[in-house]
Formats: sequence, structure tokens, C-alpha cells
Amino acid sequence: MKKQTTSYKAKKRTVNILIHVLLAVLAVIWIFPITWVVMISFRAEKGSYTSSFLPKSFTLDNYKKLFTDTSILNFPKMFMNTLIIAIFVCIISTLFVLAVSYCMSRLRFKMRKKYMNIAMILGLFPGFMSMIAVYYILKAVGLSEGSMVRVALIMVYSAGSGLGFYIAKGFFDTIPKALDEAAFLDGATKFQVFTKVTIPLSKPIIVYTVLTSFLGPWLDFIFAKVICRANADYYTVAIGLWRMLEKEYIDNWYTCFAAGAVCISIPIAILFIYMQRYYVEGLTGAVKG
Amino acid sequence: MKKSKKALALLMAATMTMGLAACGSKENDTDVTPTPGNQGNPGNQGDSVVHGEDITLTVWGPSEDQSAEQGNWLPTMCEKFNEAHPEWNITFKYGVCGEGDAGAMVSQDPTASADVYMYANDQIMTLINANAVAKLGGTTVDEIKKSNSEAIVNSVSVDGNIYGVPFTTNTWFMYYNKSIFSEEDVKNLDTMVSKGKVAFPLNNSWYFASFYVANGCTLFEDGFNEAAGIDFAGDKAVAVTNYLIDLVANPNFVNDADGAGMAGLRDGSIGAMFSGSWDYNSVKEALGDNFGAVELPTITIDGQAKQMKAFAGSKAIGVNPNCKNQQAAVALAAFLGSPEAQQAHYTSRSVVPCNTELLAQDSVKNDALVIAQNNTFDNTSIIQPFVSAMGVYWDAAVNMANGIINGDVTHDNAAEMTDSMNAAMNNNGL
Repeated sequence: MKKQTTSYKAKKRTVNILIHVLLAVLAVIWIFPITWVVMISFRAEKGSYTSSFLPKSFTLDNYKKLFTDTSILNFPKMFMNTLIIAIFVCIISTLFVLAVSYCMSRLRFKMRKKYMNIAMILGLFPGFMSMIAVYYILKAVGLSEGSMVRVALIMVYSAGSGLGFYIAKGFFDTIPKALDEAAFLDGATKFQVFTKVTIPLSKPIIVYTVLTSFLGPWLDFIFAKVICRANADYYTVAIGLWRMLEKEYIDNWYTCFAAGAVCISIPIAILFIYMQRYYVEGLTGAVKG
Repeated sequence: MKKSKKALALLMAATMTMGLAACGSKENDTDVTPTPGNQGNPGNQGDSVVHGEDITLTVWGPSEDQSAEQGNWLPTMCEKFNEAHPEWNITFKYGVCGEGDAGAMVSQDPTASADVYMYANDQIMTLINANAVAKLGGTTVDEIKKSNSEAIVNSVSVDGNIYGVPFTTNTWFMYYNKSIFSEEDVKNLDTMVSKGKVAFPLNNSWYFASFYVANGCTLFEDGFNEAAGIDFAGDKAVAVTNYLIDLVANPNFVNDADGAGMAGLRDGSIGAMFSGSWDYNSVKEALGDNFGAVELPTITIDGQAKQMKAFAGSKAIGVNPNCKNQQAAVALAAFLGSPEAQQAHYTSRSVVPCNTELLAQDSVKNDALVIAQNNTFDNTSIIQPFVSAMGVYWDAAVNMANGIINGDVTHDNAAEMTDSMNAAMNNNGL
């Protein structure tokens, strides 16, 4: 009997060791590119290529250059542009997504099913397919020059977001209707049910929507390029980072490019850390009623 | 509830129309998108001499030309132009668009692009097809022909018409470390690789053709005859493929990808690399007193020295045919390409001038960069073809180069692979 338990323990231990080794290897594979970019951003040697894999010496100059050498590539300005756009997009598209999802989940109207199908089909097309059309429409309403470029970008990133209601709608469907009905009996309007019952119970999905919509402007390159064109004052970080890798700049700017990539992750990380507690809070206490 | 919904809809509609109206009026104030139709109206010109006509010109150029730290060349020159022309009172609007991006950016929407912009001449067909670049005429053309070499004039000409004011040459040449290679060594690539390491961006099609052209292969005959096609076939091409296979196998040859050449020059492990004026400052910093720049070397094929030939082109200032102040725009383009402006460009950013008078001046002609770039342009280059059929060349060349580098192309199948490359280069997509 005793012997059996030890062998069981030993077996368990070997399995655990194997699993942990595997996890460690996978972790290294996944984390390493990110660590490497962070290391490059502190690399003191210049140029895009070095003979050694790891930097030989470290410096903060890349970050300093990124934020002070603004004569050719004005990174701080691009960063602020993107931040402003991202904040607006985040607010607007979160509202859109939640409103559309609520309607689709709770209201019953004639075109509901058809609308959902249309949305599904439209969602199958890649967004950049309409890129040139979007550009000409924005130009026709006078949003393609000067400071209106920012407005144009905010519109481009947020206007279509209502179509992405599927996940949030699925979530709303899981909230018992009984809760809504109870609120209606107490005299609540549909809007009050939405704000006082549905929203407080949907924190995880709101966090998800906020994060994805905040990410959009930081990651998108193609719309920003088509809409900004020669308006360098309104470039977003994606264009800036792309330009750093052009043949004229790459030798001087490669390490700054890595520094820029690290900087971009900061606002996203802050937002995520701030919001992640709501992921957990989400459904606790929801279905009690 | 219904009522509130309606009210909301009304409110939204109202905000939207107001938004539109506001934008509309704004556009009227700052409209820089001229309508075609009244180009270069001579009547306007007569008036403007008297009144000092108020006009707006949008000018696009690379960001370095608009950076205070690098001399602010573009705004400075534009203001000078304005002072020199009292008949116009010009307000300039600047945009950032590198010469290499102009083809895509201007032709995306020529009616809402710069009136005057800079482009690299390989994009000339794209721009012409998009009706984004105007034919020049009159004294401007005479001036261009008078002050530039024939090769440069040809580089901005299509069917005998000139489409831009050239201001610099655009090509690549060799940088080398004088402590590793002597002036005698750098005349032949094979001598070089027997003495030290050489980096060459072989799998970059812009550089790749130089070997084949060395041994008599041609692109569209002289580069302008589209019907002639690309001739990278036959024994002459196979000989080059065989040469390249041996070259790549040489441990002293480094394929210059991802900046390996520059890194090697910095730490001294590589003695020479091939690049252009954009790397001048970095190379100068890396090599210091050992800096050397020179035209392309020869290669030895079947015991004979053959001259490598780079693709060369020019960068030019183009005028948008949709611009409503054609005269001012053309005059500005001519001014930005004038010796005075080229001189300033050279002083502020080492942009190699192409004006023949300027090149004859001592201060310019003794500069190592100018010598290397101009000798390459004059002696060891061909004009990079910009006929439309050239479009298929680039990928076919990269594929071949990669095959040579990773060993797929061997001495055994060199003839076959060269043939299929030639077929791919002449494939018109049907």
C-alpha cells in the first residue's frame, strides 16, 4: 500500500515536471520576441543589424531621441494624435456596440433577423475594401485636410463598430429576462433597464469592447495612411513607425522604432490593468435576483 | 418613448447637417484643390502683374527638406521665390511626401494633391497615367535641356515630352574602407572578394540587374523600347548566373540584408558595401578617415573584365496639371530646380546636384560623394527603365536572387533557371 502511494507521487511529479518544462519552453518562445524588442529599444549600438544577438551595451538615448528629435519624425505628436483619436473612438464605439447589442438582444422588431444577417454578411468583407470610397466621401464633406483629419479618423474607426455587436449581444442574451421584467414592473423604462440593470451586469463585455476599440487606432496603418496623406501633423504612430523603417531612416531610427513600439504598449497596458478587475467582478451577484 | 426617439433622431440629423455645413464653409476658405479647366489663363497673368495676385500653392516634399535642423530648404526656397516674383503674393502650404511615395500618394487623388511636388523618376508612368503630372513647355524646357546632361533629361522624358525639373541623380555606388581595399582593388569585385569581405544586397532587384547588364543583357534595349522586352536570356545570362553562384559561395561575400553591410562596416568586419547617398552620413561616421566612395567595380566573366551597371534615375520636381495657377507652379518648379536652389540643397543636406554648371564648380566637384555618384551615373549605370512592362521585373529578379543565395540554383540547372527567370520577366500577365 505504502509503496503504491510513493510511486503515484513519483509519477505525478514526473508528469508535473514535464508539463512545467513544456510550459517554460512555450513561455520563452512567446515572450522572447517581446523581450527582444524591449532589449533593442535600450541598445546602444546603432544600426538595424548587429553581429551579436544580444545588445552589448544599454542606453536610454533611444527613448530620448524618440521624444526630443522631432524635426523629421515627430513621434510625441503622433503619439498624442493617436491617443486623442483612441480615446474618442473608445467612447463612441463602446456606446455604439452596447446600444446595438441591447437592441438586438432585448427589442423585437420587424427587421431584426434580417438586420442581423445583413450585419453578418457586411462583416465578412474586409474593411479596407472600401478604403478609397471612404477617402472620397471624407473629402467630399471636407474632412480630408488639416485638423479635420483627426475627426475623419475618429469617424472611420468608430462609425462601423456597431456592426461588431455579436459578442456583446450574445452576452446580453445570457442575462435573464426576468431581471428586465422585474424592473419594468417597478416602472422602469427600456433606457433605465439598459443603464441600471444590463450595464452593471455586463462589465466583462464592456471591458472587452473598450479595450478592442481603444486598440484599433494604435494598430491600424492602412486607413491612417490613405486619409492622412501628406498631412504629417496628423500622422498616427503606425505611420511614424513605418516611416522609421524606410531606407533613408532605418539606420538611424531602428532602435528608436523599438522604443516607439514599447511606448505604444504603455497606454494600452495602463488601460488594461485598470480595467481587468472588472473582468472578475462581472457576473458575481448577477443572477441572484 | 416614440416621441423621444423621434426627437433624438431629429437632433442627430440636425447635428450632422450642421457639421456638414461647417465643414463645407471651411473648405471654401482653405480649398487647395483647384478645378481643372482654367489652367494657365493668360488673361489672369496680365492682371496679376499689376495687382500682385493672391494665390495659394501647395508644395509637397520630404520631411528633411522642411526640418529646421537640416536647413529648412523647401520653405526657405519657396519664400525666396515669392520675393523674386512680386506679380504673385503666394501663400504656401506644405505637406510631407517623400520622393519615393509621390507616385502612390499623388495619384491616389491628383485633384487634392500638391501643386508642386518632388518625385523619383521611376514613378513617372504612374503619375502620367493618373493625370497627376503636367508636361512642361517653353523656356522651362529649354532651361532643363541646357543645364542638364542628356541622360538626366531622358530620365524625365516620355515620348519626347518633359515631365519634371530634375534636381538630383538617384543611383547607388560602392562605399569602401580604405584600410582594407586599395584604390586598385576597388576596380574589380573579384579582386575585392579575394582580399576582404564585401556586402552586396543581391536579393534586392534594384541592385541585382547590375551583374546581368554587365555581361550584355538589356532591359527594353536602351530602356525606352517597351516592345523589345527584357533580354536576360542565352549564354550571356547563364554565364552571369554561374558567376553569381560562385560569388555567393565565396566566404568573403555577404548578402547585405537587414543592414548587415552597414553593421559590418561599423565593426570593421566588412570592407565594402553598395548603397546610395542616403547612407552617406552613416558610412562617413562609421569609417572616418578610411571613408572611400567610388563607382561600381568590374566583374570577371570568362576571363574578361565586365563593367557592372547600376540602375540610375533622377529625382524631379513635378507640377500637378490640376493646379489652377499653372504659371506660378511651373515657375516655382523651375526655381526649385535652379542652380541656386540645388546649391542650397547641397549645402544643407548634401543632395548631389545635377546642374552641369554647378557640378563644374570646385567646391562641388571635389566632394567624394559627388564624384562617386556622378561617375556612377555617367560611366557605370543605365537609366532605370520606367516603361510599364518593367513592373514584372522586380519579383522575378528577387526570386532568382533568392534561389542563388539559398542554393536552389546550381551550376547544373543554371541554364534552365536563367531561362525561366527571363520568361518570368517578360510575362505580361496573360
